[in-house]
Amino acid sequence: MGEKPGFSGPLDRVDDTTWRIPRSYKEGMRVDGLIYASDALIDAIRRDQAAEQVANVAFLPGIQGASLAMPDIHWGYGFCIGGVCATDPEENGVISPGGVGYDINCGVRLVRTDLKLDEVKPRLQSLVDELFSSVPAGVGRKGKYRFSRQELRALMAEGAAFLERRGQAVAEDVEHTEARGRLESAEPDRVSDRALERGAPQCGTLGSGNHFVEVQEVERIYDEDSARALGLSAGQVTVMIHSGSRGLGHQVCDDALRVLRKAPQKYGIPLPDRQLTCAPAKSPEGKHYLGAMAAAANYAWCNRQLLMWQTREVFAKFFDRTWESLGMHLVYDVAHNIAKLEEHEVEGRSKKVWVHRKGATRAFPAGHPDLPARYRGVGQPVIIPGDMGRASYVLVGGEASMEKTFGTCCHGAGRAMSRTAAVNHARGRRIDVELKQKGILARAGSRKGLAEEQPAAYKNVDHVVDVVQAAGLATRVARLRPLGVIKG
Amino acid sequence: MAMYETFEHTADLGLRVRADDLNDLFAGAGRGLTSVLVLHPEAVTAGEIETFSLPGTDRADLLHDWLAEVLYAFETRQRVFSRFEVRLDSAGLEATAWGEALDFRRHGVNHEVKAITYHGLKVERLGAGWLAEVIVDL
Repeated sequence: MGEKPGFSGPLDRVDDTTWRIPRSYKEGMRVDGLIYASDALIDAIRRDQAAEQVANVAFLPGIQGASLAMPDIHWGYGFCIGGVCATDPEENGVISPGGVGYDINCGVRLVRTDLKLDEVKPRLQSLVDELFSSVPAGVGRKGKYRFSRQELRALMAEGAAFLERRGQAVAEDVEHTEARGRLESAEPDRVSDRALERGAPQCGTLGSGNHFVEVQEVERIYDEDSARALGLSAGQVTVMIHSGSRGLGHQVCDDALRVLRKAPQKYGIPLPDRQLTCAPAKSPEGKHYLGAMAAAANYAWCNRQLLMWQTREVFAKFFDRTWESLGMHLVYDVAHNIAKLEEHEVEGRSKKVWVHRKGATRAFPAGHPDLPARYRGVGQPVIIPGDMGRASYVLVGGEASMEKTFGTCCHGAGRAMSRTAAVNHARGRRIDVELKQKGILARAGSRKGLAEEQPAAYKNVDHVVDVVQAAGLATRVARLRPLGVIKG
Repeated sequence: MAMYETFEHTADLGLRVRADDLNDLFAGAGRGLTSVLVLHPEAVTAGEIETFSLPGTDRADLLHDWLAEVLYAFETRQRVFSRFEVRLDSAGLEATAWGEALDFRRHGVNHEVKAITYHGLKVERLGAGWLAEVIVDL
C-alpha cells in the first residue's frame, strides 16, 4: 500500500470498448470483471489498483452479470470509482456500503437559463464573486438554513417534496430529479444522532474537494431533437452544481461499516478487502443500512435543491429579474453514489436487483417508465462534469445501457493524478491565472484546493464520453464550456 | 516520538505512522490527521483539554474509531489538537488531547476529510516498533 503499484492481472479485449478480467483471475470471483475503456484509457487504468478493485467486487455474493467499471474508473477504497455492481436479494445478494461510498447520493444537477453569453460575459467576475460569497462553500462553513431534528427527519423521509411544501422547490424541480428526489425506503429513525448533528447545519452547503457550482456556456449541440427536449441550445448559459449528503451521509456510511464489521464472518462471506464489508440485503444489518442510506440520499437531494435555490436567488438579485423570468429551470439531477432496487433483465429473466453505483450515473434509455414525461421520448438526461478548464457534457441514456450495464454510464472525467501529484504539478504556477487566460474565472477557498482540482488532474472528459457513446451506453447531446466556477 | 507522513492515493490520501510503541503510534496518528485537516498544525495551542474513551480489542478498528473521534470533534465542535496522549489496554483506548477552537486564519484549512476508511487499514509490528497505515476519504 502506498507505492501505487500498477495492475498486472489479465485484461482481455472483448471489443473496441470493453476489457475483461476473467473470473479465473482470482479464486473467489463469482463473475468476470468488465471495464469499458478505449486503448488509451486502458493504459492509464493499468497504472493503479482500480482494476484489482473491479476483480474484488466480483467476490460479492449474489452479484449478477459482471463486476462493471466505467471509463472514468480510478482507484477508490473498496470499490473503484466508476464501479457498478448489481446483486439479487433472492440469491442472498448483498448490500455493501462501500459500493455507495461515504458521500451517499453525491450527484450533479444542471440548471439552464435564457441568458446568452454576451449578457453574462461582461459581468462574469461580479457574478462569480457574488456566487462565492452567497453560496456556502468550504470546510466548516455553515448553511443559512436551519432545521430542527424533527424537520430533518421529515426532510429525510420526504426528500425534495419537503422543500416544495416549504416553498424552496417547485413541482418541476421535483419532477426533474432522479427518483423525484425521494427514495421511499428511507427510514430516518435509523440515522444516528451523530449523523444528524453533522448534517443539521450543512443542508444547503457545497462542501469542499471536487464539489462546485459552475457557470457554463452551451458550446456545441450534437443532437438537436434531444437538446430541444432538454431546453438546451448553443450559446445559452447554464449552471452545474455538484455536491452530496455532506457530514450526514459520511456518518451514515461510517455507522453502517461499524455495524457490519462482524457481518462477513456471521454470514460466511470471504472478502479480499475490509472496505467491501457487506451483509445480505434482506438481513437485519442490510435493512438497517438501506433505510439509513435512503434517508441520507433524500437529504442529498434536498442539499442540491437548496444549493440551486440559493443560486437562483443570486442570479435574480444580480440581474434584477425573477429566476422564472431568467428561465432558470432544472434540466435534471442525477445521483452518482447510490444503491437502488431496480428491475433489470438478467440472462433473459426480469429481476429486481440492488444496483450499486459508485461514481457512476443512471442512464435509462427513451421509453423507460421511470422517466418524467418530458424526457420519455429522448431518454434520461445524464449530466457529466469534466474539469474546470475543458468541458462538461449532457447526454441521454442509450439503449445498450440496459443490456450491458444495468442502465448505467460514467459520472465524470475521473481523476488521473493524486492530489499530492496535482499539488506538485502546480508548483510555481497559479492555476487561477492560467484559467483566467483561457477566459475561465475560478474562486476557491485556497490555492492548494485549486491546484488539486486543476484540469490536468483529470482525464480528458472527451475521451471518456467517446467510450460511453461508442458502447451505446449514452448519447451526446451537448458540450458545455466552463465560464466561472466556485469551489470550497 | 512517532513519525508520520502522507502517501499518495488517486482520489484520497494515505497516512503512514511509525512509532516505538502502540500508545505513541496512536498519538502520532492523531497528529498526522490534524496535519491533513489544517495547514499549520504547529500553530495550534494546547490550551484546552478533552478526554476520549473508546471500547475495542481489534487494534485496526480502534485506530479507525480513534481517528473518527478526532474528525468528529473537528467537524462538529471545530476542535483541533496539537498534543495527544493515548493509552491502550485490553478493554480499549483512553486518550487526552490538548488543543483549541479552529481559527481559520491562524491554522488554515487543509482538506475536508469525509471519513476514515478501512481500505488498506493496518496496525502492525515493524521491527522493534509499530507501523500504521490508513486512507482517509477526501
